Amino acid sequence: MAETKHDLKEQVRELIYNTCIHLDDHQWEHWHDNCADNFNYAIRAFSPEVQADIKYHGGDKEYMQSITSMLSKHNSDQSPLRRHCTVYRVEVAADGRSAAAISSLAVYQTQLDGINSHVDAGTTSVFLVGRYNDKFIIDGDSIKFEDREVRLDTRRLDKGTHWPI
Amino acid sequence: MMSSRNHDQWNATPDLQQGEWVDSKIYSDEEIFEDELKKIWSKTWIPVCHESELKEAYSFRTMTIAREPVIVVRGKDMVVRAFLNVCPHRGNMIERRPSGNYKRGTPSGTPKTMTCMFHAWSFDMKGKCVNISRKAEGYQDRLNESQVGLRELKCEVYFGGFVWVSLNDDIGITVEEFAAGSLDVLAPSLNEEPLEVFHYHKAIIPCNYKLWHDTNCEFYHDYLHYHNRITGFNEAYFARKNSGFDGGHINVGSFEVQYDNYEGSHSREELSFPHLPPNHWYMIDMFPGVNFNLRGSALRCDLMTPLGPNSVMIEFRGLGLASDSKKDRQTRIDHHNSIWGPFGRNLHEDLLAVTGQGSSMHPMAESRKILHGRHENETIHDENGMRHYYEEWGKLLNRSPSNPDETFKPYPAFKEQEAQRAAAAGK
Repeated sequence: MAETKHDLKEQVRELIYNTCIHLDDHQWEHWHDNCADNFNYAIRAFSPEVQADIKYHGGDKEYMQSITSMLSKHNSDQSPLRRHCTVYRVEVAADGRSAAAISSLAVYQTQLDGINSHVDAGTTSVFLVGRYNDKFIIDGDSIKFEDREVRLDTRRLDKGTHWPI
Repeated sequence: MMSSRNHDQWNATPDLQQGEWVDSKIYSDEEIFEDELKKIWSKTWIPVCHESELKEAYSFRTMTIAREPVIVVRGKDMVVRAFLNVCPHRGNMIERRPSGNYKRGTPSGTPKTMTCMFHAWSFDMKGKCVNISRKAEGYQDRLNESQVGLRELKCEVYFGGFVWVSLNDDIGITVEEFAAGSLDVLAPSLNEEPLEVFHYHKAIIPCNYKLWHDTNCEFYHDYLHYHNRITGFNEAYFARKNSGFDGGHINVGSFEVQYDNYEGSHSREELSFPHLPPNHWYMIDMFPGVNFNLRGSALRCDLMTPLGPNSVMIEFRGLGLASDSKKDRQTRIDHHNSIWGPFGRNLHEDLLAVTGQGSSMHPMAESRKILHGRHENETIHDENGMRHYYEEWGKLLNRSPSNPDETFKPYPAFKEQEAQRAAAAGK
């Protein structure tokens, strides 16, 4: 039985929210599993300083897999990042084979070893705010990310991070 | 045999030669910081942006040098000029936006003028006052526009289109003279054709600005970077020369980076800069806090604005060729971001390290001896770059870097120091 648009919208929402948990908890493989083979990821922001759209990070599925697989080799700020995400809009194509969603995003960082652990560990601050602009491929029961743009409002990222947002 | 040390041992003068250590007070002391703003940052050439950020007539960029607000504008004649971003009337900051174009008017001002929103005094792109609101009613014939122009600053466009500004009217040297040959190694690559900024982001880091410059000046910290160890660390890497130039500038020679040694990464030989062999990597560190870093396909430039003894804003730019095809530009961006973006492999690691230094060398911290004593024939892991920088720093402030409460004494050459040391030891 064909899924109703309402059902598909719910499934898209559920996928976005579950992906937040995967990313929060560094379940990178689960995240990659939910991405189509032609998946593309980008973090972007408009810079009013140089009047240009700036791509900060990103690549295809293979690149993002290599990024996450190499994390243990790098020195990273291990301060946890937690997402608060609200899916604002989901639109399913008329043929039911693709969808797009816009979600509002805030990412909080709770200090662990980023500055001075004795003093700062446990302190939570806003790391960034922005939006997820997502596109999905729907194939029967399967819904996968085809494209994720993390569109940042925050442009002062200070130390930055090695982790995908 | 001594292993860990007690307080006196910890604070003892290191058994090293002059210049081979500095007192951490130079990274944390408020008085020294103020001295630096006055005697260094207010006196020298500082690159503030790139000309590609001012493409059209009437475009502007704003910035700060030594706490002074600065505006850079491109005039109708396409000349780039710099002014204090301060209205001569009541001292308001004239322009609050980071960038824009004056072809359009502002709520208080007419098009093609810089207008102070406070009382609508207006200035043209050459800094001449063109409007004093209700002048005759208020000033009668006691004051006119010719007496209240903007404060113009020394400004040059030099080295691949970077815009350099000096607050010092009496600087007396050009940027080329100031660079003292340190830029020559990259001049053919950067001057061949126009460049364009494709990346900008900024960070405010709780550490002294010199700690970031030190990190850019020494490569011994490649132990911090898995990427650099796996793509470098061979004979050619360890042979890279670290060369000093007059004025405290240095540059670091090149070698061929083995990008494909990093899992998931590929050689960058498909795309380079003019006259730069594929996959090569040069670095220039200019006094007092500028870095040009060319890795084959992407040029990075770090510009620093010191905010306090324990706070610095770093602006990171990535540049390619203005003539890039869409595909080449994207390749440069991806190469740049993989290590140098805010989510890149190396930049995050560098910033974590200097944040840690800032945490242990804050203004109220006990002074520490910071070692700059590695000698490896002025190659990549030699710390001569930092020694060279602090010799210039000591001269300009007339403070000894290893004891900043004492006056500066010129560093004898290392060989002379070694001879003195041997003589003292009776060898």
